[in-house]
Amino acid sequence: MTGLFSTATIVAGLVIAAWAAVLLIINKPVGRALQYAVLALTGMFVVLAIGGIVQMFGTDREFARAEFVGYLLLSPLIPLGAWWWSRNDKTRAGSGVVLVIGLVMPVLVVRIQQVWAGV
Amino acid sequence: MSETRATATNQGFGRVLVVLYAIFAIGATSRSVLQISTRFDEAPIAYSLSAFAAVVYVVATIALARGHETSRRIAYLAITIELIGVLVVGLISVLFPEAFPRASVWSYFGMGYLFIPLVLPIVGLWWLRRSTGAPSSGTRA
Repeated sequence: MTGLFSTATIVAGLVIAAWAAVLLIINKPVGRALQYAVLALTGMFVVLAIGGIVQMFGTDREFARAEFVGYLLLSPLIPLGAWWWSRNDKTRAGSGVVLVIGLVMPVLVVRIQQVWAGV
Repeated sequence: MSETRATATNQGFGRVLVVLYAIFAIGATSRSVLQISTRFDEAPIAYSLSAFAAVVYVVATIALARGHETSRRIAYLAITIELIGVLVVGLISVLFPEAFPRASVWSYFGMGYLFIPLVLPIVGLWWLRRSTGAPSSGTRA
């Protein structure tokens, strides 16, 4: 849960946020390439959820399991929503939405890691 | 229709605000469902408060997204309650930490959430003042 892949999700979220910030500054809506990137981020969170739940069943350690699963299952829905939004919002507000989501997802990963660690 | 050309509540920056509120609504709701269903007796006050905060976020999200005159009034009310909530609960949690053995979204002025719970209602009220109501869509049924 604290491995390379979760770090990659954090980096991916930040890259998407930076990308969206640039679009926001130059007054552009989300282009096709960034839409795919957001969709890819969604895919990464699906993988993270599956991997996290598999890892959870492999340990007897005490931590907030219900909370852990809740976070993992909800997290892919957020970038999925951002993807859907950016497809339909042809204004720069769409870039703003993707920027926010790009920043929220890394925070969510850190929170998931805290729950995993029992904080 | 209106003499000003200000942005409608649910357009432009308002859309980003709706998303921020939606994230807090989803987060607070799922968290409080979990808290109340699994360990309510540990901290009934804090967890009831989390549930109340969740309801406020949900109402504010919907009201901001709709953006009509009535929705704007509801949004004003919800966001004002939110601001008072985060200030009062924040203050109580600092002065009497034992009152909140378990954290709620609003304890310590939302410190656990990067103070976003404190900033969000201020930004929300600013946006409501700055933006205008969307023209009501055609005839009222």
